[in-house]
Amino acid sequence: MSIRHAMLALLSEGPKYGLQLREEFEARTGEVWPLNVGQVYTTLQRLERDHLVESDDEADPGPQKSFRITAGGAEELAGWLHTPPDLASPPRDELIIKILVAVRLPGADVHEIIQTHRRHLVELMQQWTRLKDEEGDLDLGLALVVDAELYRLDSVVRWLDTADGRLKRAAAEPPAPAREAAPQIRRRAGARR
Amino acid sequence: MTPVLELTGVSKTYLDGADEVHALREVDLTVEPGRMVAVMGPSGSGKSTLLTIAGALETPTTGGVRVAGQPLTAMSRDDRARLRRRAIGYVFQDFNLLPGLTAAENVALPLELDGQPAGKARAAGLRALAELGLTDRASRFPDQLSGGERQRVAIARAVVGDRRLLLADEPTGALDSASGEAVMRLILAACKSGVGAVVVTHDAQLASWADRVVFIRDGRLIDHTAPRPGPESLLPGPATR
Amino acid sequence: MSVTVHERPPVLGAGGHGGMPARRAVLRWAWRMFRREWRQQSIVLALLLLTVAATTLGLGIGANAPSDASVFGTANYVLTVSSAGPPTGGPATGAATGDRLGGTLDALRSSFGTTDVIRHGPKIPFPGSATGFDLRDQDPAGPYGRPMLRLDQGRWPQGPDEIAVTDRVAAALGLGVGGGWDLDGRRRAVTALVENPLDLHDEFALVAPGQIAAPDHADVLVRASADEVLGAGRPAGVSVQERFGDGNTASVLVLMFATVGLVFAGLMAAAGFTVLGRRRLRAIGMLGAIGASHRHVRLVLLADGLIVGSVGAAAGAAVGVAGWIAFSPRLEESLAHRVDRYQLPWTALVTAVVLATVTAVAAAWWPARAAARTPVVAALSARPAPPHPAHRFAALGAVLLIAGLTCLYLSEHTNKFLILGGILGTAAALMLLAPVAVAALGRVAARLPLAARLALRDLARYRSRSGAALAAIGLAIGIAAVVSLSAAVTVAKVTAPSGGNVPADQIIIWLDAERMNGTIPVLSADQLADRRARAGAIAGELHATSVLTLTGAASADTPLDHGGRPVVALGKPTAAPGRPGMTAYRDDESIPVYVATPELLAHYGIAATTADLLTPRASIDGYDLIRRRGAWQPTLQHVSLPDYTSAPNVLLSTEGMARLGLTAMPVGWLVQAPGALTQAQVDRAQQAAAAAGFAVESRPTGADQARLAAQLTAAGIAVALGVLAMTVGLIRSETARDLRTLAAAGARRRTRRGLTAATAGALALGGAIIGTACAYLALLAWFWREAHWLAHPPVFELIAILAGLPVVAYAGGWLLAGREPGMIARQPLD
Repeated sequence: MSIRHAMLALLSEGPKYGLQLREEFEARTGEVWPLNVGQVYTTLQRLERDHLVESDDEADPGPQKSFRITAGGAEELAGWLHTPPDLASPPRDELIIKILVAVRLPGADVHEIIQTHRRHLVELMQQWTRLKDEEGDLDLGLALVVDAELYRLDSVVRWLDTADGRLKRAAAEPPAPAREAAPQIRRRAGARR
Repeated sequence: MTPVLELTGVSKTYLDGADEVHALREVDLTVEPGRMVAVMGPSGSGKSTLLTIAGALETPTTGGVRVAGQPLTAMSRDDRARLRRRAIGYVFQDFNLLPGLTAAENVALPLELDGQPAGKARAAGLRALAELGLTDRASRFPDQLSGGERQRVAIARAVVGDRRLLLADEPTGALDSASGEAVMRLILAACKSGVGAVVVTHDAQLASWADRVVFIRDGRLIDHTAPRPGPESLLPGPATR
Repeated sequence: MSVTVHERPPVLGAGGHGGMPARRAVLRWAWRMFRREWRQQSIVLALLLLTVAATTLGLGIGANAPSDASVFGTANYVLTVSSAGPPTGGPATGAATGDRLGGTLDALRSSFGTTDVIRHGPKIPFPGSATGFDLRDQDPAGPYGRPMLRLDQGRWPQGPDEIAVTDRVAAALGLGVGGGWDLDGRRRAVTALVENPLDLHDEFALVAPGQIAAPDHADVLVRASADEVLGAGRPAGVSVQERFGDGNTASVLVLMFATVGLVFAGLMAAAGFTVLGRRRLRAIGMLGAIGASHRHVRLVLLADGLIVGSVGAAAGAAVGVAGWIAFSPRLEESLAHRVDRYQLPWTALVTAVVLATVTAVAAAWWPARAAARTPVVAALSARPAPPHPAHRFAALGAVLLIAGLTCLYLSEHTNKFLILGGILGTAAALMLLAPVAVAALGRVAARLPLAARLALRDLARYRSRSGAALAAIGLAIGIAAVVSLSAAVTVAKVTAPSGGNVPADQIIIWLDAERMNGTIPVLSADQLADRRARAGAIAGELHATSVLTLTGAASADTPLDHGGRPVVALGKPTAAPGRPGMTAYRDDESIPVYVATPELLAHYGIAATTADLLTPRASIDGYDLIRRRGAWQPTLQHVSLPDYTSAPNVLLSTEGMARLGLTAMPVGWLVQAPGALTQAQVDRAQQAAAAAGFAVESRPTGADQARLAAQLTAAGIAVALGVLAMTVGLIRSETARDLRTLAAAGARRRTRRGLTAATAGALALGGAIIGTACAYLALLAWFWREAHWLAHPPVFELIAILAGLPVVAYAGGWLLAGREPGMIARQPLD
């Protein structure tokens, strides 16, 4: 998450002091992302430089300085909210790399490795869920963050389940070599053109 | 403390024509009162069979089953039926309530089958519904309830009376995530009142509600999670940084 | 986390099956389900309703049908005391006769206690009536005769100068209430219109008790045991009429028909409940999962049977009673019986309702048992338990079939229990063999086109319901086949060249409806001439070549009974049932004995000798001469006479008659037509004879039986088609899901049509084959000794059953299945 846009979002509610901005940011993200004062003021300076926010007077930067959003800032915020993040290129996920390595590695029990990761992930999910369970009236922001984490972890578990099944099937019926060769030939032919 | 469920060396073999199908192999599982255990595995891994054996609906080929300390293997068909209506509660994925009976009557049914007078059983049923916040749904028929409400009524029925063991087979399978979460909260609440629960699922989010998650593959329990740590470690919080 | 823990183990010892509360809960559920889903059981409900409603109407008609009560009232014996010895040509007069009758009546009164005496005066002649009207005195409040009198208008006659008449007498003689009537030289006031409400055809004039000075005879109604009546101490000259068959006979008959109807309803119900049990399988599994024992599960479906049965039966009874109350007054005319619309045989009606309910419960038994045996886990996933292998039914069915056929064979047409057992055994075998036939259908499926293959596989898969349906169809066809086959036998018998009652070109005009078995009226010369003229007219209509007077012989000392006397005959003595030491003679086994008048001898070209009897028979050993006292060893003369049971075959010579002290009296006329008589000619002769007070006996042409066979075959086919329509709907609705899959897989409409048509056709063909086969086997056992009669099969009826029914069923299925898409969309309820 971009702190820059979070500041803009907080300022769109009305003029705020720098310290106030930090507290509100932490409260709204369920205190999952701590923020230090330096980060807040650096960000605010940059925003001011870009004419996205403006301060009420020419006073020195400090805790008593109040900021408010400009029209350009509001436009920037709206544009950012509607711009999809870059999900097209896959992140270099360490877990995926580990499993890919384990598949090729002689002597490695890939199912056992998968289960280890699965167990770990589920344990992690149990922790998140327990947060939901024990904090009965969960702060909305935190609840959204917990959901996001659970879904993220869940998707990894699902991928592990799918990989588990795919590997099992692949072991049960090794693919015929001729079939695998076919796309390669075609690709080479394409390359020649 | 007597475990509400104890499976020791339970195996189940079906005959599919001439072939033997091993649905369960040497399964050991213990569920303490007040605990929720999730059994997680892909379809066909034997998790539903585990549940039907734990619920006295089927008998294992070998191995021992105890529910609330009572050995099931020596029981007659009628005794097992009696155990089901007194000690075991079921929640299935999508079909739980008898059509034609109101929510309150559905909840009171196990008590009535056990010989309690209708009035008394109905009062107990209404109490159970009230605890689950379903008082205003008591006189509705199943087809007048939403999916989530139906599951909640089913949970009320599964815990009504002196129940010890709650068995749930994908209880949120047909629900949206909010209703599913509500259902899981209710099961957890039931556990806190002393019931032992086994939830069978392939869904990690569902399983993560449990105190312990047991992983099943090809009829074997292959792994389980450690007793879950508190959520504190997840929250670095500004104080720690 | 705070955890409260149950340390106490759950109590499991006591409690049994949950007792009454559990049963009540299960019954409540069954009732709710019925209320929700009764439409799905409307077929069964409608069948039960129809059966019980029809039974109610039948019982009403049966209870009000003409019966012995019109003569006996509430008594069980009528003793007729005749006042006269030999007829003197006119009414007996004088105090002596009256005293003799009075003395006999006093004797009877003292030996029986309560009696009800009805004195009959001489007949009141009336032109146009052969017999005239009866004049009687009877106490309207008599202990037994009270139901036989009803006052329609006016008041009961009192004293010597008052009289009441029935409506037809009043109309015929121009009388009216308040008017006067000169009878036998005495003027009487007509005070009332009366009737015999139990027999509206009974026309009479009624005077106050004791007001007939010179009675012709008196009927004494008594209630007594057979020993009291038939034992010693009966005054001479008293003849006895016994009341046979109490009033319940009609009810029993109606209930028997109702049972047949209920068997159909029961079979359909069995199929319906099987479908129902399958539809509710998941709910039943759920019930088991929450702790219902197998008894509770069984109770659910049994309760459903009970509810469906009692609702259907109660509705049927209500409809029947309402229909009876609304329409029964219109039946009075045809029944010749006053109908009290609130007078139904309630006991029999309740029996019918209970029977219908029991039928439904019995039909639910097997599906209930199957549901209770289905493992909970299988039920929860809606997988029914696999059906029992068909061969078990086959074995039991075969055993029952053999037992039933053996019973029929051993019964020799007489032993009622063996007949009943045989019929029931064969019918039960038919039902048990039906599932085998269904399994066989599944086996031939592999070679057929898609639609037929699917249809037959479905039938085989859902065997319990298609088996019940097939059994119902088979039963309907079986009944039709038995009727048409036995009608064919009857036709074959009557059209056989020899034997029988009379030749095809002859009829006998009898003076009395009971031919020679009743009392033949004693006629004066004038009366006889009149009758002969009427008989001659009937014969003339038939262009008769000869009219031969048939003469019987009667003991002259027998007192007149209702103006007639019995004539002698040869009877075969048998032990009277229930009367040890007494001998009975069956009318249908007796041989008429005719007097060898010169006319008769001339007709057959016989030269008489002095022998007693003239007959082609080698001997008459084993026969007694009945309706005459004393032993007799007749001498025989062997003559040539045609061998018919009613035409002259045993002749009593005039010498023999004299030796026995008998007098000749005409009994009828043998009419010789120029050729074989058609049914139309016979019908005309019968109508003419009935108008003249005669009865006509002719050789049966078989036309009636053939017509009846055709009608019953058509009715059987109609019933089978009805059953088919219901079951096919039932079976196909259950497989609607498959049909939708089929439609999704691109099956065209003709495939769907073909599916329904093939289901209907296969069920029809299977039912027709099973029904006809069982009917043939049963008749083979029945006509074992004369199996050659079965060699004349009713070809048309058999073709209609074996080919027509399946074709109609197939075509009907094809046409009606066009409307099915609506049904596909409707899912069976979970």
